[in-house]
Amino acid sequence: MNDPIVISVPSHPKFLSVIRAAALVAAEVSGMGTEAAEDIKHAVDEACSNVIKYAYKCDSTRTITVKFEDSQYTFQVKIEDTGCKARLEDIKVRELDEIRPGGLGIHFIKKAFNSVVFDKRKRNGNRLILTRFKNRHEPVISQQK
Amino acid sequence: MKVETTVNSNYTVVAIAGEIDMYSSPQLRDTLLQLVKNKTATVIVNLKDVKYIDSSGIATFVEALKKMLSYKGKLKMAQVPDRLMEIFNFSKLDKVFEIFGKIEDAANS
Repeated sequence: MNDPIVISVPSHPKFLSVIRAAALVAAEVSGMGTEAAEDIKHAVDEACSNVIKYAYKCDSTRTITVKFEDSQYTFQVKIEDTGCKARLEDIKVRELDEIRPGGLGIHFIKKAFNSVVFDKRKRNGNRLILTRFKNRHEPVISQQK
Repeated sequence: MKVETTVNSNYTVVAIAGEIDMYSSPQLRDTLLQLVKNKTATVIVNLKDVKYIDSSGIATFVEALKKMLSYKGKLKMAQVPDRLMEIFNFSKLDKVFEIFGKIEDAANS
């Protein structure tokens, strides 16, 4: 997959299935195995759910744009919105051992991707950049870019 | 997603088919919380035909379990597909929910 794949959908939860389908196919086309592709699909779904919840505050009339880029060494997903500024530290998260509703999404995102960063250069809205190294021995990075 | 509830003498089976995500989990939540409201003693969730679950679906099950524990009710999982089992293991839900291979095993436990 040399050219990026870009999809834009309304910020309604019913379109998450469309994003999941695209993420799965993009990951498979880039050469990911079944388990990795499923993890990527799940992570992208959780990230887009966060856009709906946190950036758009459940306003279903906005737009989410997801871009999939494949290279020799990485598979990258960029998720863009025009909503409220988000910071990773503001997103509800809980320890895996602490069993209570909510706070799991970020764990699924970090399971699939080595790097999870918001692009600080984006002025309006958010651009979340998820990077998976094809050699997964690279360290996990999670910070503002 | 489809949710079908079958009431038996000693337990109630909630059979789910399709994908559980932010869009569909409110429907599942309504079903489970109605059973909680009725203080249903044993609920067995049949996950055989579930293709996907996200964190909102997991949160729905955890919320229902916590509410059921308040009246000593039981929420059991049955026929969990491999991919969902991986997610349950990763989320450490395998330590929280009773998980069974068959509905009958869950009913008789």
